[in-house]
Amino acid sequence: MRTGIVVGATAALLGLILILGAGDDAGPNPYIAIGIATGALYGLVALGLVLVYKGSRVFNFAQGEFGTVGAFITFVFLEQVLKVPYYVAFPLGVLGAVLMGLFMERVVVRPLMNSPRITLLVATIAFALLTVGIEIVLFLPEPKTLRPLIAATDAAGNPNGLAVFGYLMEPQNLIVIGILVVLAVVLAYFFSKTDLGLAVLATSQDAFATRVVGIGIERMSRFIWGTAAFLGGLAGILYVPISGTLTPGAMTTGILIPAFTAAVLGGMTSLPGAFLGGIVVGCVQSLANWAGNTYSFTIDETVKPLQSIIPGLPDVAIILVLLIILLARPQGLLGSEA
Amino acid sequence: MTSVLKVEDLGIRFGGLVALDNVNVDVPEWEIVGLIGPNGAGKTTLFNCIMGAYQPNSGTVTYRERDISLLPTHRRVALGIGRTFQNIGLVGGLTVLENCMVAQHPRIGYGAIGALLGAPRTFSEERRLRNYAMEVLDFLDLSHLANSHLDGLPYGTLKLIEIATVLATDPDLLLLDEPSSGMGPDEAHDLGDRLLKLRKTLNLTVLMIEHHVPLVVDVCDYVYVLNFGQVLTEGRPKEVQKHPEVIAAYLGGSATEEASSEEEIPTDVPA
Amino acid sequence: MTASATEALEAPLAARAEERWSPSVQGWVARLLVLGLIFGSVLWATANVPSYWADRISLAAIYAIIGLSLNIVLGYVGQVSLGHHGFVGIAAFVAAYYATMKAGCTLDSCAFGTFLTATLYAAISGGLAAMLLGLIALRIKGLYLALITLAYGFAAERSIFEIPFLTNAGAGMPATRPNGWETDREFAFLTFIFLALVIFVDWRLLRSKVGRAILSIKHSEAVASTYGINVTAYKVFAFILSGIFAGIAGSLFAFHETNVVSNNFNFATALLWVLMVVVGGLGNRIGVVIGSAFFALFPFLILLIGPLDHFIRDTLGREPDYFTIVIGSTLALLTIILHPGGIGEQVSPITRWLGGKPFSLHPDGHEKHKEPKAKGPGLLAKFGLHREENGSERAEGERTDGELAALGRAVASPTPSRDHDTERVDVSGNGVQPPDVWGALVGRRDDAR
Repeated sequence: MRTGIVVGATAALLGLILILGAGDDAGPNPYIAIGIATGALYGLVALGLVLVYKGSRVFNFAQGEFGTVGAFITFVFLEQVLKVPYYVAFPLGVLGAVLMGLFMERVVVRPLMNSPRITLLVATIAFALLTVGIEIVLFLPEPKTLRPLIAATDAAGNPNGLAVFGYLMEPQNLIVIGILVVLAVVLAYFFSKTDLGLAVLATSQDAFATRVVGIGIERMSRFIWGTAAFLGGLAGILYVPISGTLTPGAMTTGILIPAFTAAVLGGMTSLPGAFLGGIVVGCVQSLANWAGNTYSFTIDETVKPLQSIIPGLPDVAIILVLLIILLARPQGLLGSEA
Repeated sequence: MTSVLKVEDLGIRFGGLVALDNVNVDVPEWEIVGLIGPNGAGKTTLFNCIMGAYQPNSGTVTYRERDISLLPTHRRVALGIGRTFQNIGLVGGLTVLENCMVAQHPRIGYGAIGALLGAPRTFSEERRLRNYAMEVLDFLDLSHLANSHLDGLPYGTLKLIEIATVLATDPDLLLLDEPSSGMGPDEAHDLGDRLLKLRKTLNLTVLMIEHHVPLVVDVCDYVYVLNFGQVLTEGRPKEVQKHPEVIAAYLGGSATEEASSEEEIPTDVPA
Repeated sequence: MTASATEALEAPLAARAEERWSPSVQGWVARLLVLGLIFGSVLWATANVPSYWADRISLAAIYAIIGLSLNIVLGYVGQVSLGHHGFVGIAAFVAAYYATMKAGCTLDSCAFGTFLTATLYAAISGGLAAMLLGLIALRIKGLYLALITLAYGFAAERSIFEIPFLTNAGAGMPATRPNGWETDREFAFLTFIFLALVIFVDWRLLRSKVGRAILSIKHSEAVASTYGINVTAYKVFAFILSGIFAGIAGSLFAFHETNVVSNNFNFATALLWVLMVVVGGLGNRIGVVIGSAFFALFPFLILLIGPLDHFIRDTLGREPDYFTIVIGSTLALLTIILHPGGIGEQVSPITRWLGGKPFSLHPDGHEKHKEPKAKGPGLLAKFGLHREENGSERAEGERTDGELAALGRAVASPTPSRDHDTERVDVSGNGVQPPDVWGALVGRRDDAR
C-alpha cells in the first residue's frame, strides 16, 4: 500500500508539474523548472535530515553546516591552497564534511544518546553554531564565491545546459537533480534490502533489541552520522555555486528551513518522501515568487505588486506549508510509523 | 440515599477496540465503592472517562445530579472530584509540600496577574496554602517528609503522598486507582484503616480500583466487577466474592492475583 | 473539608519549627553585606567605567531580560523556542515606530512618557506574537514545535522585518533615547530598572500558584489537570508572559540601538540566546541572568585581558566579537554534556546562602532521600520531556509525541540502571494510562525490560 501511495503521489506531482510547466498561451512557465532545480537541493539536504531522524530520532540542525564546511574546504583547495582541480577538491570537501560528521557523532551525539531528544536537539544547534563561529573566525564574514563544476557558459560565451519548460537549467542544476535521483534510489534500496540498512532501521526502533541481537549501536550511529554528513557535504558543495555566495553559515540560513519542510512533508522517515518533498517545496517557493511578481493589487490608489505587499512571500509560503502540514497531518504526506 | 456519582451507559472505543461498553456505576454518598476486575478490564479507562481525560463515545457522567460529561478535567476537580493514578500522580520536580500546595490550585484566593505583580494578598494566601498543606500532611503522618523531593522515596510512601495531594484538592469524592500497590500486607491494612478514618472525619465518598482482595473486603461497602469493558456483576464484597463468574474471571486464583499485583510494582513504563 | 480537617488534626505542629533553620542576626547582616557588595559593585562599575562599557552593560541587562523570557519557555514550560528574535524584533520595531512615527520623537528629543508608552505597546505586541505560538504549542510539542518556532522567527526575519513602513524602507526606524536617559550610562541604569522589574515578576511567578501550575504542566499535563489546573490556559499564559518579557527587551533594545534595522535580529542571534539560557542553567533565574550577561559582555571581557586582545586583533586580525559564537556554543556544549545544571548550579551554594539557608556545597538543601543522579539524563527533568508523559500523550492519539515516546524508550533501554533514579520520579509523569485493554492484549506492562 505504501508503494501505491508513493507511486500515486509521484504521478500526481509529475502531472501537476507538466500541466503548470507547460504554461498557457504565453508560453511555458519557467518557474516550475526553477522550482525543480532548487527543490532538488532541498531534497538533498532533506535526505540527510531524514537519515539522521531514522537513526537517532533527532532533528539535526547541523545538517546545513556539514554542507558549508564541505564548501569551504573545497573552496580552500580550489582557490587558496594548492589550487587543485575540481575533481580533487570536491572529494576533499566531502571528506571534510564526513570527518566533521564523525567528530560530531563521537563528541556530541554519543554522550547524549540516552538523553531526551530535545536536549540532543539543542546540542546539534550548539554544534552548528560552533561551526559557524569557527568559519567566521577562519574566513571572516565576507562572502566568497565557489565556481560551479561545469561553467554556466562555455569558452565562446554560449550558455551550457538544457532548456526545460522555457528555463535554461545550468549544468550544476542538472548534476544536482541527477545525484538526487540516484541517491534517493540507492538509499531506498539500502534501507529496504541490505542487512546493514535494515539494522539501522532496527536500531532506530529499538536500540536494546538491536544490541541483544548483536549489532553494535555505536557502529550504527557512526554510520548514520557519517552518511548524513556525506549527503550534507555533497549538497553544500553543489549548492554554493548556484546560490552564488559562500558565507559562514550559508547553508543553515539559506537552505535548512526549506529542507526541514521538505523532510516533514515527506513524513520525516521516508527517503523518497524527502526527495518528493524537496521538489514540492521548491515548486511552492518558486510559484509563490511567480505569484508575487505576477499579481498586483491597488491599495490607496497605487498599484502594488503582491511581493511588495507581503515581503518575503516565497519564504512565507514555505513556512505556511510547514505549519499546515504539522497541524493537519503531522505524519507527512508519505510518512509511516517507521 | 443520594448518589454522588452516576455513570450511565458509558462506552468508549479506541480504534476498533471496545474499551468500555454500556457501563453503569452508581456511587452513593458516604460509601466506599470498589472497582475490581482483571487487568485490561477497563477500570482505569473508566476513571479517565469520569475525570474527563478521555471523552467517551456514549453515555453520561453525573456528579451530584449535574451532568459533567462535557466539562474539562480541571472543572471536575474544582467541583470536588479528586483522583489518584495507577502509577504515581505527583509532580516530580516539586517537593512533597509544594505538591500539596499545587493541588489546592482551584481554591487559591488570588489572581494570576496580582500574583506576578506581588499583590500583598498573595503573600498571606501563600502562607495559608502552606499551613493547610502541612495540616494535610500531618493528617497522614507525612509532615516529616514535607521538604523532601520525591526521588528515592519508597513507592508505598509515594502512594500515600498522592492521597495527601488529592485531599489537598478538597474533594468530596475520591477516585483511588490501586492505592495499596507497592504496600505490604500490613501497610495495606493500615491504609484500610486510614481510608475509613478519612471517610469518617472528612465525609468522603470513595470509588477505588483495588487488587488487594482483603482490603476490598475490609473497607468496601459495595463492589463492581469489570471484565472486558463490561460490568460483570455487582454487589456486596462477600457476595461478589462467591459469584461463580467472578471466581472464574478474576478471583478464582486470588493468591496468584496478589502475586501478580506484587510483580507490577516496580514497573514504570506502560507497555 | 477545612473545618472538619482542622478538628481532626491533633498532631502537634510545633515539631516542625525545629526543622526550619534560620540564620542568626549576624548571619543576616553578613548576607545583607555580601548582597550589598554585589549590587553595589555592579552599580559602581556602571557609574564609573568608560561610556562604551556602560553601553555594553545595558546590552547585558537587555540580554538578561531576553534570557529570562526564554527561560520561561525553555525552563518552565519545557519547550524550545528558536524564534525569539521574532518576538524581540517585532517589539523593537513597534516601539520605534510608535515613538518616531506616532508620538513625534525627533532625533534629538523624546519624552520619557513616550518611551514608557512605546515599551507598553512593545510588551503587548510581544505578548500577542507569543500567544500565537502558545496556541500552536497546544497541539505540537517537542522537536516539531522547535521547528515551528524556527520557522516563526524565520518568517518574521524574512517578512515582517522587511515591511517598508516599519523599517523605514530598510534604512532603519529611529528610536531616540528618552530625555534624561540619553547617555549610555543613564540608559544602563534605565535597563537595570526594567531588569529588576522582570526579575521581580519572575520571582513572584515561581513563588505563586502560576509558576507551580506551569511547572506541574511541564511534568505531566494529566497530573496537573487533576490538581485542578487549567492546562490550556496556563500554557498559553506562559508563552504570553515570555512574549511580554521579550517585548520589554525589544523596546529597550530599540532605544539602546537608537536605530532599529532588521539585521539586528537574525537567526544566529536567536540560537545564541537559547544557548546562553542553557549555559546559565535552565529554570535557574540567577544562572540565566549571569549567563546572558556573560554572553553580552564576553567580547569586552577579552578587552580586559590586554595580551589576549592584542593577540586576537593584531596577530590574528580578528574582532573579539567573532569569538562570541565560538566560545558561547562551546560553553553550551560543555554544559549540556557535562554540567546540565549550568552556571546556576555552580553558584547555587552562594545563592542559597544569601537566601537564608545554611552554607552547603551540596547542590540541594534537601539532603534526605537524595541519591546521586546520573549526569546524562539530568537535563531530562529540566526540559520536561518524559518518556512516560509522552507515552500517555500517545495514548491520547497525538502521534508526534508518540514517536518521541517510542524513541525515548528505545534509547533509554540499553542502560536501565543508569536513569533508574530519574525514572522513579518519572513514574509520576505517567498520569493517564494507555487504556487497560492494551495491557491485556500485550501482556502486563513491560516486565520484559
